[in-house]
Amino acid sequence: MTPSPVGSTVRTHCPYCSLQCGMTLTQRGTRATSALEVQAWAEFPVNEGALCRKGWTATGLRGHRERLTTPLVRDRRTGELTAVSWDDALDLVASRIADLRAESGADSVAVFGGGGLTNEKAYLLGKFARVALGTSQIDYNGRWCMSSAASAGNQAFGIDRGLPFPLADVEQADVVVLVGSNLAETMPPAARHLDRLRDRGGRLVVIDPRLTATGERADHLLQPVPGTDLPVALGLLHLLDAAGALDEDYLAARTTGFDDVRRSVATWWPERVERVSGIAADDLRAVADLLAGADRVMVLTARGAEQHSQGTATVLAWINLALGLGMCGKEHAGYGCLTGQGNGQGGREHGQKSDQLPGYRMIDDPAARDHVAGVWGVDPSTLPGPGRSAYELLDSLGTEGGPRALLVHGSNIVVSAPNATQVTARLEALDLLVVADIVMSETAAMADVVLPVTQWAEESGTMTNLEGRVVLREQAVAPPQGVRSDLDVLAGLATRLGCAADFPLDPEVAFAELARASAGGRADYGGITYDRIRAEHGVFWPCPTADHPGTPRLFADTFATPDGRARCPVVDHVGAAEQPDADYPVHLTTGRVLAQYQSGAQTRRVKALDDTGAFVELHPMLAGRIGARDGDRVVVRTRRGELTAPARVVTTIRPDTVFVPFHWVGANRLTNDALDPMSRMPEFKVCAAAIERAA
Amino acid sequence: MTTRDPGRVVVVGSGMATNRLVESLVARGIDRITVLGGERHAPYNRILLSAVLEGTHSVDAITLRTSAWYAEHGVDLRLGARVDSLDPGRRVVELVDGEPVAYDTLVLATGSLPTLPPIRGLVRLDGRLHERLHSFRHLDDCLRLSADVAGRLVRAEATGTSVRAVVVGGGLLGLQVARALSIRGVRTEIVEGSEHLLRSHVGAPAGRVLARTLGRLDTPVYTGARAVTFTDDPATSEDPDSSARCGLTLDNGHTLETDLVVITAGVRPSVALARRAGLAVRRGVVVDDTLTTSDPAVRAVGDCAEHAGRTTGFVPSAWEQAELLAARLAGDDVHYDGSRVVARLRATDLDVAVLGEPEREVAEGGEVVEVSNPITGTHRRLVVRDHRIVAATMVGDLSRIGLVTQLFDRRTVLAPHEPGELLLGDAPVRPAVLVDDAEVCACAGVTAGRVRACGSLEAVRETTRATTGCGGCAPTVRQLLAQRPSLGPTPADPESPERLEGNLR
Repeated sequence: MTPSPVGSTVRTHCPYCSLQCGMTLTQRGTRATSALEVQAWAEFPVNEGALCRKGWTATGLRGHRERLTTPLVRDRRTGELTAVSWDDALDLVASRIADLRAESGADSVAVFGGGGLTNEKAYLLGKFARVALGTSQIDYNGRWCMSSAASAGNQAFGIDRGLPFPLADVEQADVVVLVGSNLAETMPPAARHLDRLRDRGGRLVVIDPRLTATGERADHLLQPVPGTDLPVALGLLHLLDAAGALDEDYLAARTTGFDDVRRSVATWWPERVERVSGIAADDLRAVADLLAGADRVMVLTARGAEQHSQGTATVLAWINLALGLGMCGKEHAGYGCLTGQGNGQGGREHGQKSDQLPGYRMIDDPAARDHVAGVWGVDPSTLPGPGRSAYELLDSLGTEGGPRALLVHGSNIVVSAPNATQVTARLEALDLLVVADIVMSETAAMADVVLPVTQWAEESGTMTNLEGRVVLREQAVAPPQGVRSDLDVLAGLATRLGCAADFPLDPEVAFAELARASAGGRADYGGITYDRIRAEHGVFWPCPTADHPGTPRLFADTFATPDGRARCPVVDHVGAAEQPDADYPVHLTTGRVLAQYQSGAQTRRVKALDDTGAFVELHPMLAGRIGARDGDRVVVRTRRGELTAPARVVTTIRPDTVFVPFHWVGANRLTNDALDPMSRMPEFKVCAAAIERAA
Repeated sequence: MTTRDPGRVVVVGSGMATNRLVESLVARGIDRITVLGGERHAPYNRILLSAVLEGTHSVDAITLRTSAWYAEHGVDLRLGARVDSLDPGRRVVELVDGEPVAYDTLVLATGSLPTLPPIRGLVRLDGRLHERLHSFRHLDDCLRLSADVAGRLVRAEATGTSVRAVVVGGGLLGLQVARALSIRGVRTEIVEGSEHLLRSHVGAPAGRVLARTLGRLDTPVYTGARAVTFTDDPATSEDPDSSARCGLTLDNGHTLETDLVVITAGVRPSVALARRAGLAVRRGVVVDDTLTTSDPAVRAVGDCAEHAGRTTGFVPSAWEQAELLAARLAGDDVHYDGSRVVARLRATDLDVAVLGEPEREVAEGGEVVEVSNPITGTHRRLVVRDHRIVAATMVGDLSRIGLVTQLFDRRTVLAPHEPGELLLGDAPVRPAVLVDDAEVCACAGVTAGRVRACGSLEAVRETTRATTGCGGCAPTVRQLLAQRPSLGPTPADPESPERLEGNLR
């Protein structure tokens, strides 16, 4: 890897969320520790030079004293970690894997990836699992991100791209409905598009149990009981159908199954929705009136709607609403998902998912297996079939018939998995835990072998942002001594495992292979190259050939289903898997704060970002009930665990709900591991909890 | 026959309980279902009939399942099939045309029938309602009334007159119909025999508030007055056709001149079939916790069923029973233990919610926390027992309905101060000024003090990066800069702290 010369400036993208804000990096000296300066890249269209404080401080992990720079091996008897050479570490891992495979079969070794990995890493991780390990047991933390929207998109549209249009289209809509998104805090520069929408006279509807920085921009704020976004959608569709506001010509020409949906929402009159969701009937009517009178309606969901045991059904209900109004495929309108993780989109397209191969191909599709096996130069029959989904994979670790070894790349499971105590116990039951990370994350701290890898700015690679735009993060500096790229790790292990298949070290070479492997698939990168990305401010997939312009907007004429029509499945409200009762009387919901990102492994170590620690947001009425004042320590308990943190008493949350941010250890000891039957998404966003003042 | 195989299931009635029951049975893979529906329409949402009358809903929009859906799922839906008799011994029901239908499991979901008050002239010699009189239970009732109103409005417009209606019965349905007629442009009056509106649901103060609100909506309410005679005397008019008015005379001697009368004087469970078959019947068909009647092969759900001495008349209860029965018929050992009822008026500009049974709970010793303001037309009463809201009445102000209903339904244990706070609402707390350490820009983590230290917007952007993230703080930053003392005397704008607060997160 060659660092760029001193003083030169490279274009890259922020290391955090799915907005992948464009920025430039300039190195101010010759030494590895020389300052690396973030500057605005005003021409990049998604953020136009704007960044949040996470972006501005993104170089804060460079030269951090906690940065890992040597492989470490743990002595299980003493628990002590010892620095070893890369050769020793990789030899050890490979030999342990070989032993376990010989003993218990290929599926005894599992791989866990992340939605923050570059496309190249995600792709090669999938290839490594299927070809070098021969295991079916690979999945990633993207299951816990937007997988419900992914499964809904596939069902309804035959394709899953977060936004089927550029984000800036938001500005041109008449009404934007944000369901379970706090984008003003989770991806602040995106809020500029909302502000321009409103400057144009467009209206914003925000649906969230909390009044957030995003909700403060709303013309209509609906604060439903957590876990009831679905009946809110059904109720709106009911009112719109009753008012004759649906686009019948569109429904007849472009959808199938809508009549059953129409019948099903006849039972969701506003007063019934009110009782279930806590949204007053008149507030629902006001939003329905707004939607009925709008030409261009855009519905955007995020984790608040999706991280439920009914997440897929919830998204489908909102998609049905957008379809009913004739919006999907219309310019500056339609449905989209605001993906969360940096490469949440690309990470799910190229084979990290237990049931998929590159190009969003399904692993049980014979034609898909033939194509990908051809690119990899292996016999299709050697490719394993579908494996377990993320939570089920973790839950099976060290159990009878479950994997005995786990390789983790780009994920801090101990903090981010639901029902974390149980997951931690499963990790402890492994024969071998290998974690590749940049710092000693809570998960790395449990590992038998820790592999120090490169981070953002020390390596190149592509990401696919929430719009389906493939962008390029260019390397700006040399990595610290002793650190290797994930690609290096995979290649090193593959060789030691006697795998003949190619594991390129150069990201651009890896990307070219990915493009070939994805060609002809739903997420077709066949015509995308690094040079094109540089020249075009990113390229939207599908882009099958070098002369194809890419596809900023989908669905104008047809959907990606066999008959080209959108599917409208009937969905009904079942409710959260765990409802409040006498012992656990309030709802617990979780989310993010502006200054932190995901499990906080990166952001908690950046000095310029506030590390406030976890807190518990609750309403004054509830605070009064438990005798707590702002700042007092309170205990939140669920059937799975407990957390003690200071109270933040705010009037902006429902009095029957408490909120805990999930960036710190603890929040996910509380959350429920009930899974969505279609996406296998855990129910992060609601469970029953008890709260009291700490003794 | 085991409980896992209910055999041939025959359902009498095609209302909302039946529809939910069939959906649940189909979902559980139970086939051989026959539905005998007396109405000619496929199951529809009866809750919304007043919305159809008002014009906000089309008939299509309230259809729950089409006949085609029933056919596709192998359910024999027979519409216009009125059941004449039930023979529990032979396990056969007989239709009015004499056709026998045999069952292994019979479900009575016959619903309820409107009560007709004793008004002379109500029923014609042939036993049918007078043509100017309308009941309001079935879709056909609604369509006939709607067409009648439409015709009269057209004629009235041509002649420059108005259309008048009297609604007899000031319960939930009566108020909904009255509001719907008003919105259609009919001059409507309400006659209620008891001392106040919604007699069976709320206390007198709430009823009085409602009457006053209706008065403001140009709908006079006569309480404590019974209609005793209906007269349709063409002699009172020179025009013998239908534009002539008829009269409804009250027991106080007053006569209301009107074009049509709608009877909404309550309903009673439809139990005639069960009674004739010798099943145990009190107010409704008596069922146990398994929704079984006195005959083990006959079940009953919905309005017609009486469980633990109560009939409900509300859809959520009927659905709970239907789902529970479907589960039982599929072999689950589940038991019904009653439903929590929230009665919610669906009428434009009339906000009423009744949770549970407030009068009864008060009588049984519940403590009352209430705020009543007849001047603004609001009355809200919470009945609290054992720290829980066990019933509530909310009239005219439903701003906390979404929370109060949750606390009621989930039996949440409240602190002593909470019921009062629920009725009084949040006291907004606003800081008088934006203190220096108040965060203005969340994206960059910039305080008001740091913004005040800058000389210009450009300086703010350069040195603090405020406004360069989401952009949401830009108005606040401009305000702060404009108020800097160095730029001249601070404008004594009393609104500015409020405006700043509005931009703060």
